[in-house]
Amino acid sequence: MSTGEARRAVALSLRQLSKRFSDKTALDSVSFDVEPGTFLVLLGPSGSGKTTLLRCLAGIERPTSGTILIDRRMVAGPDTFVHPEKRRLSMVFQDYALWPHLNVRRNVAFPLARSSRSTTDKRARVEDLLERVGIGHLANRFPNQLSGGEQQRVALARALAADVGLILFDEPLSNLDSDRREQLRIEIATLTREAGATAVYITHDQSEAFGLADVVGVLNHGSLVQFDTPESIYLRPANAFVARFTGVAGEFGVRVIRARGGGRYDVELPFARGQRIEAIALEELELGSTQSLFVRAAGVTLGPTSELCGVTGHVIDVAFTGRGYEHVVRVGPEAQLSKVFSTSRFERTSQVRVSFEVSACLVMRTPTNG
Amino acid sequence: MTSGRATTPVSTEARRPTAIRLVVSVLRRRPPMGSVGLWAVLALLIIAPVTCFLLLAVSPRLLGQGPQYFTLRFIGQAFQGNTGQGIFNSLWVSTTVSVLAVACSTVLAWLVSRTNVYGRRMWTVTMWALLLVPTWMMTLGWTDVLQPFGVSQFLGLNSSYLYGQFFGPTGIIVVLTVAATPFSYFVVSAGLQGLGSEFEDAARIHGASRFLTVRTVLPIIAPALLSAFAISFAETMSDFGVAFTLGYHSHFPLATYTLFSAISNFPANFPVAAVVAVVLIASTVPLILLQSHVMRKRTFAVLSGRTRAPRRRELGPLARVATTAGVVGFFAIALGVPVLGAVIGSFVQNLGIYSSTPVHLTTTYYEQVIHPSIIGKGLGAPLLLSNQLGFIVAGATGLLALVLARRLVQSTGGWSQRITDVFLLGSVAVPGVVLGVGYIFFYNLNFITSHVIDLYKTLPLLALALIATSLPGQTRFMAGPVSQIQPSLGEAARVHGASRFRTWRTTNFPLVSRVLLWGWLLTFTKTISELAIAQVLYPPSQEPASVTIQAYLANNALGTGTAMTVITLVEMFGAIVLALGLYRVVTPRGWRRIGWSEVSG
Repeated sequence: MSTGEARRAVALSLRQLSKRFSDKTALDSVSFDVEPGTFLVLLGPSGSGKTTLLRCLAGIERPTSGTILIDRRMVAGPDTFVHPEKRRLSMVFQDYALWPHLNVRRNVAFPLARSSRSTTDKRARVEDLLERVGIGHLANRFPNQLSGGEQQRVALARALAADVGLILFDEPLSNLDSDRREQLRIEIATLTREAGATAVYITHDQSEAFGLADVVGVLNHGSLVQFDTPESIYLRPANAFVARFTGVAGEFGVRVIRARGGGRYDVELPFARGQRIEAIALEELELGSTQSLFVRAAGVTLGPTSELCGVTGHVIDVAFTGRGYEHVVRVGPEAQLSKVFSTSRFERTSQVRVSFEVSACLVMRTPTNG
Repeated sequence: MTSGRATTPVSTEARRPTAIRLVVSVLRRRPPMGSVGLWAVLALLIIAPVTCFLLLAVSPRLLGQGPQYFTLRFIGQAFQGNTGQGIFNSLWVSTTVSVLAVACSTVLAWLVSRTNVYGRRMWTVTMWALLLVPTWMMTLGWTDVLQPFGVSQFLGLNSSYLYGQFFGPTGIIVVLTVAATPFSYFVVSAGLQGLGSEFEDAARIHGASRFLTVRTVLPIIAPALLSAFAISFAETMSDFGVAFTLGYHSHFPLATYTLFSAISNFPANFPVAAVVAVVLIASTVPLILLQSHVMRKRTFAVLSGRTRAPRRRELGPLARVATTAGVVGFFAIALGVPVLGAVIGSFVQNLGIYSSTPVHLTTTYYEQVIHPSIIGKGLGAPLLLSNQLGFIVAGATGLLALVLARRLVQSTGGWSQRITDVFLLGSVAVPGVVLGVGYIFFYNLNFITSHVIDLYKTLPLLALALIATSLPGQTRFMAGPVSQIQPSLGEAARVHGASRFRTWRTTNFPLVSRVLLWGWLLTFTKTISELAIAQVLYPPSQEPASVTIQAYLANNALGTGTAMTVITLVEMFGAIVLALGLYRVVTPRGWRRIGWSEVSG
């Protein structure tokens, strides 16, 4: 928003951060740096360690080893642990964590107790925030008189009221229905950026992550497997896990036939013998070897069988999505593509021609696990 | 701009061998001083007195009570004669009472929560009142009503047949059933609340008849019924009030009284008393553990955000009046007759005494309460003492129970938590009289009086025993509400700048304030009317109210004893009304709204 507010954003630095619970490693030597004002989204499946990482940042969990620096100040490290209330950050919780005995106004005003503002200023700030998140008329209500979306807005207003340089978001949209989720996602993105704070947001939803993030960190089994811009993560996933987790329409074993140069290869589709398509590889592949092909839904096009290029497939399901149709297409005995979009409807059991854009086809070494 | 490292090098910590890592982690860990302190308190309060006392059953010499290190002689003795009869009577009476209490409470809970019976809210409040009235007060009320020259005769009714029945197993079973019903009622009600209408709907939609629907749905609350049975059984086995009054006067010995008489007769026989104590505990612990196990596994599984509110059955006008009359009938027998009987009795001249003059009303007994003429002791000092004890005991129990409840509901699930859980469950099964006698024995041991603490025959010892007897139940009472406080509420306060103290003051305390108040009131009122421990442990010349009242009754001063009972009862309920009124006036509106839900989703 204003320059003054933007100055409040803080840098964040994690070094070799680990957290163990008894015999389980929740975080394993995670390191990254975030510049002030960045919106970082940590993406990962359940049990990947993203909540633990966020709680370590908040000071709710004490890391087993490693260091955390917020605004170049060590808040967790060997012989150092700064308690949550001293870290000058705020947080939106997954279950909102609104105090049921305080009304909306007092919930939002809570973080201002540590502020040096005058009472009038504090009151004005609360009213302003309530208006900005669209719940000014609910100020005297108690949390259990609000709907889920309204409760989430209170939680957001409370986090913004804190006027701090770092805001943490713990899957704040996971309890909402899809309409409210989309609406609130936009509000979170807008209001947080307006506040000029650095944000760390965790989610298991890839579209939510890409929609919000300046930078995405992908976690799996407690390790940070990729840390990059959304575009890079989508187009150049670090491994099969990232490719899968960020959304693929299908995954097949293919044979590498020819190197085209510039990281491009011709691969042969096993279910359409003789059919070749061009794919991108992020590493050197041996010719003749069998590898894995990951196909992004966005690069798959359906057409009538009269079209010449592409492979033949059978539609096994079709769903209307409002702006078009999503199809599930079987292209081989054990190969199918899902979420294939088309503005035209192809009926179930009908034959179609499936063509692939090179940018949507990623070929990788067949993973041994994960 | 932003840099990241996706590599995950193995840390120095992770490269260490497991054994070294374990030693390092143990050394790094702070000594759990809180846990050590807490267990030391629990050891002195409950574990040591009860364990030492129970050990006497087989090893009197270990504790300086006889020549044998190991003997089964006292077990044989305990199962003979009056003591054996007491054990046998307690077991069959408790079983009968539990069945009756579960039946009564299930019907009442269903009527109140699932039908449109009149006065639903009032019946729940009345059930709380019933919970607070001790069994010795109920017995006294019924005695006032039924005895010759009592209230019924004053009202022109002949109660000689009922009087004969009352002083025997029938009367004992009736009073104990009435006393056990509230415990059972609250458990069954909770089970019924979790039983949303969707279960009935699903059965009916899939073709089940009304009978089959009930048969299908009832097993869902089976754990609650089992729990209600276990709690009723434990409460009845451990009851002392009926055993000391009705059981004694009708020559129908119950185990708690035979235990008491084993140590109060001369010479005291602690080993036989210990065997009876073992029987009392051993008969209830398995049931309590079983119900806890079953409850944890099943009952609350049906409680979810998706469970629909139960649908009330709309009774027709006639059925509605009839069922309401049934509920009124129950509470009239359970509470109305004894309480009104005691109140009227306290104004009847020559209550229970043959007199040639016509029966008429008088305030003499209340005057005698203030200016005692029989045993030279008024109620003022004992009642004041009981109130002082109530304040201290309720306060200390509340604090300890809150600490234990928090430990019990922690999500960590470590060994300490599991031991706390089992310990508290086991302690619920320890009757007050066992604890009292355990205290007499343990705190009179030479080693304890010389090297640890000398509290024998003092008020602090009585207070400690009262705390010990209230603690397990109070902790269980608080555990539910405490477990419902999401940890994120406290975390949110800390993250948004609140210190530990401010977090507790502004977020946790308001959320538990109501349950703290109720817990405090329950302990306070129970302490004022407590008889078993008070009778066993009161210091010379410092009798609490309940003991003083029993002394009057034992001296055939039924009228004065009844007047004292009425005053004590009024004071107990007055304290509750006053405290709840003050809470309403003093606390912010939000504190009183917790648990309400007006809008969902």
